Amino acid sequence: MKHWPWERAKEHLSEELESHLNMAIEERVALGEDRAEARAGAVRELGNLALIEDVTRERWGWLWLENLLQDIRFAIRHLRRAPGFSVTVLLTLAFGIGANLGVFQLLYAVILAELPVPHPEEVVRIQAARSPFDQSWTVSYPAYQRLRAATPDVPLMATAYIVEDAKLELPGRASTKVSCKPVSDNYFSGLGVAAAAGRLFVQADERMGQDEWPAVLRYDFARNTFGSAQQAVGQHMVLNGRAFVVVGVAQRRFLGDMTGYAPDIWLPLGLESTGAFAFSWDSLGPGHDVSLDKPWYNQPTIFWLVLTARIPAERRAAVLAHWDQVFRDDREVMTEATADPALRATLLRVKIGAAPLSENGMTKRFTVPLTLLMALSASIFLVGCLNLANLQLARLQARAHELSVRMALGASRGRLIRQVVLENALLLAGGSVFAFAVSRAASGVLVHWASNRNSLFTFDLHPNLPLAALGAGLMLVSLLCFSILPAVIVIRTGVAQTAGSRTKVAGISQTSRQRFRSNLLLGAQVSLSLLLSTMSACFAATLVHWETVDVGMDREHVLIVHPELHQARYTDHSEMLPELYGRIQERLQALPGVRGAAVEMCGGIHCGWITALYVHGRSDLTDAQVHGQEDHVGLGFFSTLGIPILRGRDFSSSDTAKTQPVAIISRGYARQLFGEADPIGQSVGYVPAPNDHKFLIVGEVGDARVNGAERDAPPVVYMSINQNPAPVNSIRVRAVGDPKQLAESVRRALYEVDPAMPVGEIVPLDAELDGDLGTEKLLARLAGIYASLTLLLVAIGFYGVMSSRASRRKSEFGIRLALGATRGHIQMLMVGQTARILVAGILPGAILSIFAVRGASHFLYGSVSANLIAIVWASLVLGMAGAVATLIPARRAALADPLETLRSE
Amino acid sequence: MGEAAKYQNRIELMQGTLDMLILKALHREPMHGYAIAHVIRDRSGEVLTVETGSLYPALHRLERQRWVKAEWKLTESKQRAKYYQLTALGRKQLRADHQRWLKLVRAIGAIMEPEVQP
Repeated sequence: MKHWPWERAKEHLSEELESHLNMAIEERVALGEDRAEARAGAVRELGNLALIEDVTRERWGWLWLENLLQDIRFAIRHLRRAPGFSVTVLLTLAFGIGANLGVFQLLYAVILAELPVPHPEEVVRIQAARSPFDQSWTVSYPAYQRLRAATPDVPLMATAYIVEDAKLELPGRASTKVSCKPVSDNYFSGLGVAAAAGRLFVQADERMGQDEWPAVLRYDFARNTFGSAQQAVGQHMVLNGRAFVVVGVAQRRFLGDMTGYAPDIWLPLGLESTGAFAFSWDSLGPGHDVSLDKPWYNQPTIFWLVLTARIPAERRAAVLAHWDQVFRDDREVMTEATADPALRATLLRVKIGAAPLSENGMTKRFTVPLTLLMALSASIFLVGCLNLANLQLARLQARAHELSVRMALGASRGRLIRQVVLENALLLAGGSVFAFAVSRAASGVLVHWASNRNSLFTFDLHPNLPLAALGAGLMLVSLLCFSILPAVIVIRTGVAQTAGSRTKVAGISQTSRQRFRSNLLLGAQVSLSLLLSTMSACFAATLVHWETVDVGMDREHVLIVHPELHQARYTDHSEMLPELYGRIQERLQALPGVRGAAVEMCGGIHCGWITALYVHGRSDLTDAQVHGQEDHVGLGFFSTLGIPILRGRDFSSSDTAKTQPVAIISRGYARQLFGEADPIGQSVGYVPAPNDHKFLIVGEVGDARVNGAERDAPPVVYMSINQNPAPVNSIRVRAVGDPKQLAESVRRALYEVDPAMPVGEIVPLDAELDGDLGTEKLLARLAGIYASLTLLLVAIGFYGVMSSRASRRKSEFGIRLALGATRGHIQMLMVGQTARILVAGILPGAILSIFAVRGASHFLYGSVSANLIAIVWASLVLGMAGAVATLIPARRAALADPLETLRSE
Repeated sequence: MGEAAKYQNRIELMQGTLDMLILKALHREPMHGYAIAHVIRDRSGEVLTVETGSLYPALHRLERQRWVKAEWKLTESKQRAKYYQLTALGRKQLRADHQRWLKLVRAIGAIMEPEVQP
């Protein structure tokens, strides 16, 4: 029983015609004819049975469909007979298209996508004044209130910086870390964000001292946590010990106003007064009436709010000018931290500005790398297409005889082309399915690689129209490149020329034009491949450089432990902390394999505690000279981290809250403040002379890249934690061997010291220092993958082309061998061809690479000329790959028995 | 009668008339392809012969247009054959074709033999 209706119909037609024939025979027999004679007569009368069937079937109207299915079946059979070719095509398409889509998706999300709200071009970041130390565009809460009240018809929204590691507790579940963003009550309404469920913030949500605070969730977070947006509404949760109720969920595509940093939860700004969240802030520094412990909403000297407004472009200038008036007093307050009168005057002249949201750190950081990656992805796609075109040409030329026979038998040119194209369309369809999967995986992996170690970026990676358009475009280009063009070329020229004898096909007759064409394609592949290999080598070298650069610390043996001390039981009794730190150090140093342990205020590379130090008796220091970084450390800190003490002494146990406050400064800071003079014994303080200079410098230490391996070592002043008792954010442990081995015993030891002290993540210093190498890692890894892929493609290309040439020239080689050529000679013939193509490809490739290296020099460590050595290496590797890929078919050709080949002629 | 003579007595079917003849042949009762060819040949006094190569494509086209429907049945000689039968749509078509045909014959007649006309 056949499944297909048309096959059944076909059988019925045959049966019908057969019964017709039988009736005709019966009639003739009845009339007295001999049966055999009757049969012959009836058949003659009936005519060409097959033709009748064909003509009849045409009347059914779906012959085209039948033909198509026939062609598809034929194509699948054909592809299965060439698994090597099919797999190469599928993989090339999957990776070629997939990589492009993956990179593009990231590029789109980071650079091109606009805020998913109505009129996103109206939403701007308001840049009022840079805060004194962090130089961030933040203002105080009273300033925000004044600006907002001045223009009631312009939505002005305020947000605090995102809090990355709030502790979320849900009934019956283990606690998790979530990121929270405090926003003003008009945040969602001002931006024009809709709710996916429940409601968004209203003015009443700002009320201070609520028993249960309202929270709005990000769509995907709500779905992952509570199952759906609807189910999330009304849920109660505990965040950093405070009670919250979910009032709503924001619309699906809204991930916040900062690209990459999507908060899980939005909270009201009023929450600051609870003190339960450690918000990022800047202020005028000590001595300016700042009380961090008291609520910030009425303190004009704490700068913590980023302003965002929705202003139509035509009103922008007027609104900003009005705000400038309102902001004047606050601007004066903000310049108080500056001692330099000239600088102060300049700062006072600054006007409020507005910048589009797209001008953010993320775009600045990733625009060039992602564009570069996009270009690299496009070139690998191109290499893939060229490779496929070449393989396809070789394959079709090998099939030329078959095609010409079929044409001679009456197959139409159109149908032949259609069959070849269909075969490739099938491959393309398969490849596209894989490509989609690859792109999904790729963009996920890319986000991972690009992210900082501590915080994973969140982007909107849902499929969108531009992505679909790009996907369809790439598919069409690849179909054109590797299918339609080769098929047209071969069927137009190849078939006509080879329509003659079989020997001509098998013989020497690849025309010089065909050879030139495939050489050109191979050469282009070599060029692009050289480009990719060079770039990959340069990026890899850069990454290796940063991962191994001397950071001024023992980066390989130190472990960073993050204790959780920001709790009332520690902060309320800070005078007890030095004793706790002493016990921790003592216990850890007693562990086998531990060389030293010390506590430190800074938790990692993003501490960035900017400070200003003024020297007693020196009023000539500029702002640039006095600024540096501050850190409070415990005893034994420098020996634990391997930072050398250059002059003076380390902190000692005799430095206490009751004795002279002391400080140790880094070489860089000392040079900034004192030049080459000895800093030991100098007095420094936080405010300009003639005010207090309470710290005595007792030591000078080496510079260390504490802000990350790729950033220069900052000027740092270290104070003793025992003289300024406060909760620390990290404990550093130096091991004799691999520090990761120690993690568990350190955790146990800390539990023994204080069972109530939670211990968070434990990371090696190395990982922490490399944490911001996202861009470098992204470039190095992706370029590396691309380079190896193209190398593989080039090898496949050479192998495919050269083996088809070897089989074409079989009889020529046979004659050459019979006439006395050696096998080595035959091999050299083929390798020589490869060598010429390689040279022809490497030269333009090298020029291309030089331009690319120059263009990307911003991301590369080392001089352009040093990176050019990479070109030489890449060329060598390419040459090797080409030579090996040629030698295999060349050897096979040379080892063929000349008699056999000549006999088969 | 030799083959050549047989052909000389035949008249080529006019364009579009085959459908009408088939429909007419099926007017009374369902029949199979062979019988249809027979009926047309017999009733035309052996003048019109339908080639198998035209008959079956036409039958299948009529079937697709739903003017006839078909079913498999056994003939008197116990052979399976596909029997065609007029549908309501086919009857309508036959009437229309017949009218057109009469018109055509009258018109051509008026031109070729004007004296016969009253």
